[in-house]
Amino acid sequence: MTDARELDPATEFRELYDQQYTSLYRSIRAVVLDGAAAEDLTQEAFVRAYRARHRYTPTAPPGAWLRRIGINLAISYLRRQKLARVLPARLYIAPDRRDYDRAEARDVVTKALGTLSPKLRAAIVLHYYDGLTREEIASVLGVPAGTVASRIAKAVAIMRKSIGSDQDLGPERSNSEGALRGR
Amino acid sequence: MKVPYVEDKPTQGGSRTPSEDDLSRMIRTTVESWTPRRGPDWPDVLIRLAKSGPPTWLLYTAASAALILILLTAYLVGSALQIGALGPQPVPANLH
Repeated sequence: MTDARELDPATEFRELYDQQYTSLYRSIRAVVLDGAAAEDLTQEAFVRAYRARHRYTPTAPPGAWLRRIGINLAISYLRRQKLARVLPARLYIAPDRRDYDRAEARDVVTKALGTLSPKLRAAIVLHYYDGLTREEIASVLGVPAGTVASRIAKAVAIMRKSIGSDQDLGPERSNSEGALRGR
Repeated sequence: MKVPYVEDKPTQGGSRTPSEDDLSRMIRTTVESWTPRRGPDWPDVLIRLAKSGPPTWLLYTAASAALILILLTAYLVGSALQIGALGPQPVPANLH
């Protein structure tokens, strides 16, 4: 994690918010794959972090501490969504996914991320985007470092396969998708 | 450290399967292209904080304390007024 200066959440929370907002949003979005939900969860993560700011201990950078709150919130959100789908139709109003489907399915990486489970997505984004070490990811996700290594290896294998097969389908599929999107 | 076997042939999954470095670059590029529509909104954080009320642990502690108080009061009142099972019970006459 490349913090220019490590800010103290207890006294410099506002500065920490401005510094970390976008990167936390991106990490959360990579897990939930939904821009609007990611914005809401990012705000909620900062609310929770603000309440817990005096309990922060400088054993890990504040960015990793925020990731822990944000990623756990994102995984809980997806779990709730999954649970809501098994509720009777009257109690559950499905969110309008059309905008998401159009916008997010455009690129192969997002599609490949969509083939992973939320836990694998969290591991891969923390490693390749946030640049956390396996030990730091282990502390964020609350799992052993070995589990992190196996999750990253598994996610890489799935994503490579997904991207490879997607690109092999070539422009024909892209054209047909474009045609469908245009409808 | 036990790590699952990962096929490393470039042809596996198709001739255009990206290398791990390519994949890493692709992930970074894609994720960095995501920008929040609204951007940082500190006043919204403050509004959410004001709306959120007391923390959950405080709520549960207060509710537990209230429940204990109600049960204790009910017991004391019940025993003082000799209501129900807290009143004097008839002793069976055949007991010696």
